Amino acid sequence: MNLKLRPEERAALNLRSLYESRGYSFYRMSRFEEYDFYADKKDFLTSKSILTFTDINGKLMALRPDVTLSIIKHIKNSEGVQKFYYDEKVYRVPKNADSFREISQAGIECVGELSSKDVCEVLELALESLRAIAGGRKFILDVAHAGIVATLLAGAADEPNKSEILKCIAAKNIHGLKNLNAPEKIINLVQSGGFENFSDELINTIENHKDEIKVDYSAVNNLNYYNGIVFRGFIEGIPESILSGGQYDGLLKLMGKKNSRAVGFAVYLDEIRGDEND
Amino acid sequence: MINIALPKGRLGEKVYKLFAAAGYEFPGMLDNNRRLVFENEKLNMRCFWVKPFDVPVYVERGTADIGAAGKDILLERSPDVYELADLKAGFCRMAVAAKNDFIDEPEKILRVATEFPNIAQNYYFSLGREIDIITLRGSLELAPVLGLSDVIVDIVETGTTLRENNLSVINFIADLSARLIANKSAYKFKGEEINKIISEISK
Repeated sequence: MNLKLRPEERAALNLRSLYESRGYSFYRMSRFEEYDFYADKKDFLTSKSILTFTDINGKLMALRPDVTLSIIKHIKNSEGVQKFYYDEKVYRVPKNADSFREISQAGIECVGELSSKDVCEVLELALESLRAIAGGRKFILDVAHAGIVATLLAGAADEPNKSEILKCIAAKNIHGLKNLNAPEKIINLVQSGGFENFSDELINTIENHKDEIKVDYSAVNNLNYYNGIVFRGFIEGIPESILSGGQYDGLLKLMGKKNSRAVGFAVYLDEIRGDEND
Repeated sequence: MINIALPKGRLGEKVYKLFAAAGYEFPGMLDNNRRLVFENEKLNMRCFWVKPFDVPVYVERGTADIGAAGKDILLERSPDVYELADLKAGFCRMAVAAKNDFIDEPEKILRVATEFPNIAQNYYFSLGREIDIITLRGSLELAPVLGLSDVIVDIVETGTTLRENNLSVINFIADLSARLIANKSAYKFKGEEINKIISEISK
């Protein structure tokens, strides 16, 4: 059979075999969740709009806006670390768009009694994902710590000011941070990075890949979602970030899995489309 | 190759002069012609004029690596880009203005005419005020004078136009000036060149 794969399909297959080789099990969403399941977890959704439909029993259902929430829901409360990967379509309204789109997403979630070694493994897997789809082009993985930003902002700013400061952090807007009287420590982090709150293992991992992993606080954009490290991947020639992830223990707490932690990332496969001309 | 998007018009010309003074010259840029794209092969840079409102679009989508945009346009469009420097050109303010004899009745829905619906919406939302947005494409002063709106949300530079129409500023929203913005991905891979340009034109 001579099947010519599109670039994003080829990328998805490469990623799947990468995750499979690292002991991740495939997770497939064959059913839909009820609308209510997402509605009370909006802090953990990238896009707040949810596409709904009525099931044959009259229940209001949602056409999946996200895969992570379902993976966490279906994980049994057991010991150890559980690892899943997925390759799915999600339905979201992209920023500045005026209608829902079908978006191809592949990703992994690593959940359970995580050690900092597990977190480092996920970070390295993010780097390898970029390598697998970059096809020889340069790539960069930005890493930061959302927890330190949250701590620094907790005492220093009220809510509206906080969201303005976060926008400036994401935009590397130093003059804006100064105008908002943001804490000096935050300005330093945005200007020059730093390893504050990073575990020793994490610092080692970053230094082992110092040409490809950069500490860059513009990766921090949502303090409600991520509480630990956050990261964002870029490939030369693709204008938007193609990979995004981090540690999100808050979602597990919200879903009643108290002693668990979670770290994961998603790769936005559609960004690859149309980029290669072959 | 670094691609630069500049806003057509007075602000863009001011910003271009900053580039030219720092040695980033694109022959013909300021001539009165219809060309839109200018290349300097020696610097390996390309510069183009686009509508002021479109600069963030070109940069966000990576057609331009960097660009200069008024803060008003960045506030209105909130593009996902880096805002790396305040170019300290084209200072003005975003403000609310009304007829000199305007008395606000807080229980009424306020009719707001503006070219910047998102800025107006966000400002009045933060105050908890219900408004009716009327989006116009220019000559804002006319709206309160003819009774189309109660107030306008607009850029105020000297205030002369307002005074001539018996209008005055009643609320301040934000300080504005030209900002240098960069595509996030381009900055990862051309960061050194971009930083050099910024430090040269900010001298």
